[in-house]
Amino acid sequence: MRLEKCWFCSSTVYPGHGIQFVRNDAKIFRFCRSKCHKNFKMKRNPRKVKWTKAYRRLHGKDMTQDSTFEFERKRNRPERYDRNVAEKTLMAIKKIDKIRVAREARHHKMRMKGKPAIERQAALTELEKSINLVKAPASLLQESQITPKIKVKIAESQPVERMEE
Amino acid sequence: MVQYNFKKTTVVPSGKDFIDIILSRTQRQTPTVVHKGYAISRLREFYMRKVKFTQQNFHEKLSAIIDDFPRLDDIHPFYGDLLRLLYDKDHYKLALGQVNTARNIIGKIAKDYVRLLKYGDSLYRCKSLKVAALGRMCTVIKGISTSLAYLEQVRQHMARLPSIDPNTRTLLICGYPNVGKSSFVNKITRADVDVQPYAFTTKSLFVGHTDYKYLRYQVIDTPGILDRPIEERNIIEMCSITALAHIKAAVLFFLDLSGSCGYSIEQQAALFHSIKRLFMNKPLVIVCNKIDLQPLEGLSEEDMKLVMDMKAEAIKSVIAQGGDSNDEGVLLTMSTMTDEGVIAVKNAACERLLNQRVEIKMKSKKINDVLNRFHVAIPKPRDTKERPPCIPPAILEARAKANVETEKRKLEKDLEEENGGAGVYSASLKKHYILDDEEWKEDIMPEILDGHNVYDFIDPDILQRLEELEREEGFRLETEADDDFEMDGKELTEEEQALLAEIRRKKKLLIQEHRIKKSTAESRPIVPRKFDKDNKYTTERMGRELSALGMNPTSAINRVRSRSISRRGRKRERSLGREGEAMDIDNDQSNKKLRAMSRSRSASRSRSKSRPPGEVTPGEGFKDSTQKQKAIKIAKKSVKVRNKNARKGEADRVIPNLKPKHLFSGKRSIGKTSRR
Repeated sequence: MRLEKCWFCSSTVYPGHGIQFVRNDAKIFRFCRSKCHKNFKMKRNPRKVKWTKAYRRLHGKDMTQDSTFEFERKRNRPERYDRNVAEKTLMAIKKIDKIRVAREARHHKMRMKGKPAIERQAALTELEKSINLVKAPASLLQESQITPKIKVKIAESQPVERMEE
Repeated sequence: MVQYNFKKTTVVPSGKDFIDIILSRTQRQTPTVVHKGYAISRLREFYMRKVKFTQQNFHEKLSAIIDDFPRLDDIHPFYGDLLRLLYDKDHYKLALGQVNTARNIIGKIAKDYVRLLKYGDSLYRCKSLKVAALGRMCTVIKGISTSLAYLEQVRQHMARLPSIDPNTRTLLICGYPNVGKSSFVNKITRADVDVQPYAFTTKSLFVGHTDYKYLRYQVIDTPGILDRPIEERNIIEMCSITALAHIKAAVLFFLDLSGSCGYSIEQQAALFHSIKRLFMNKPLVIVCNKIDLQPLEGLSEEDMKLVMDMKAEAIKSVIAQGGDSNDEGVLLTMSTMTDEGVIAVKNAACERLLNQRVEIKMKSKKINDVLNRFHVAIPKPRDTKERPPCIPPAILEARAKANVETEKRKLEKDLEEENGGAGVYSASLKKHYILDDEEWKEDIMPEILDGHNVYDFIDPDILQRLEELEREEGFRLETEADDDFEMDGKELTEEEQALLAEIRRKKKLLIQEHRIKKSTAESRPIVPRKFDKDNKYTTERMGRELSALGMNPTSAINRVRSRSISRRGRKRERSLGREGEAMDIDNDQSNKKLRAMSRSRSASRSRSKSRPPGEVTPGEGFKDSTQKQKAIKIAKKSVKVRNKNARKGEADRVIPNLKPKHLFSGKRSIGKTSRR
């Protein structure tokens, strides 16, 4: 009994689920559910379908290369049973999982790092552009006229005012 | 050797069915469409074809019946006699004769009518001729329907006759009723003949088969025969007589020594003597049955004498055939109840028959063709040396050992049986595993853990790699803790945030409104602003919105008010001074009405030089001007409300109801009614 990966979305296919399609050239396609199967039949490329793992990895949304992925590799040679090895493997799986999850979280954090700056910039530009929805240009003008009534003896400010008029 | 198989005769349909079959076939397999406009030759051909087709079919079917039924004179005399017996010969022949005549009559009818059809001059006449022809043919068949019914009965009975081959090796079993013939047949063959204590249990011939010296023998069980003159015999007895008469077989005459069949030995002996003519040239075996009830030795003297008489007769026939005069195979005893001597009887009879048949064959001319098959070639020995087969001693030892060994080893199967059998004990498949430690044999290894395949992770140096990984992780955590979030100084102030929120809210509202407008655009009329009944567009509202934007609305409001029609209209009215009514009602009317009135007045003034509205022009269809005015009023009234609401009407090229019921109701004969 093995857990397989869905060819389309790369999620695990548990036993008793999904459909397996064998093509005439003997290539086997496994699907976790009919959604993936139907998408496949429509000849959609998983690399272009946003919610699949293939897309996410390709576009850098998820972590691609990591040493934690190398622990899990299909070995075709059968090993003789050894109880100690089995024990160690089981414990190791848990730890590797933890580390992998932590790394993925870190990757996500790095990705999202620049977001506040971008948001702030977007807010500023919006404010500048769409101020006319809340304040009529006439009133803006009045305001700008009102404020420089504070007498500040700076020669440079005056040419600026004239441009606004 | 022809197998007489009467099962393959064609089914004879009853008169009515026959007619139905033929007529429906004609209907289906000839063209059916004809119009009176066709050329006359075509019409004639059409109907002639039908008549001929029907006649041909009748001919075929009737011929099939006549051919399939056996002619009593042409078949083997045994079957001929049997059929003659069972189905009254005269009746049988008559029935077949009637079928034959019917066939000829139908042929003649068809010929006559085809000749007439050649001169048919209209569709109707040809059609009536055809109808007449077919009708007459069908009447003929109706007339022979009783014969057809009888033939069908005969056919069904014939099919159930046992398939007896009159030419092969046969044992014929005869005797009084209840002597044990059927029990004997049941014993030596697989035939399941009824055995009951009453007489005439067996009412017809039964066939079983048995083997002797790799050859197959037919065993025919006959109904019991009573001692009567031949004229008084009934049909059942005649069956066995026929069999006796015509089939070349070994005859086994059964005697009941105990008399439990209800007839004494004298009576049985009497029967024997009366039918002994039929035993000529047939190997005869006299079988004394039921010796468990009455052994042969215990017979009384008279009975013994009778039996010996019979035996003497039998021996006579043996000598006549050229066999030796010993009495071994002639008189035999047996008991079907205890199975004593049954096989012996069978063997004796078969042997006698075989010998006789072989003798006959040897004397015939055909033997020379077959003689070359009888020679078995044996190589001549060239010297007197003995040459036995050679087996190496090693093989002999191994054979001896193998016999001993197979008993020693304990198999898994034995183990299973010890522990409770197949359903209870399940063998431990892990018993023979080769592992480092014996205790691990019964371990269950998990295959799946947390969505991973455990087998994919197994690696001898997994621990080492894990250690490295953890070290790496540790490093990374440390370096990350040093990373700080870089805060920009460019934060938005409170006011700016409030403004931004306001901007966003307004944008959202705009988008929502736009969406509603877009979705209802087709069904929403574009109402010009002057018909706005909700009074949405007022100066108060404008003033409110402008002040919200931060401007002073008073100048805008003043400008708008100075340009409004009501004010302008009032000024003009006062200056002109005409149509005093207008001035009187000026204060009562609303602004809207004033505006409407002012417009219509200007329009009507331009038209005042043309006709008055109520005047009737001749081609319109109105009686007088009052009627016309009323009509105009009604028309205007019906349109008023709709116009006020600025809704589309018929003149605006709108179909208010896409599927009016009067056009779409009703059922279709085929198809769906989702559209018309």
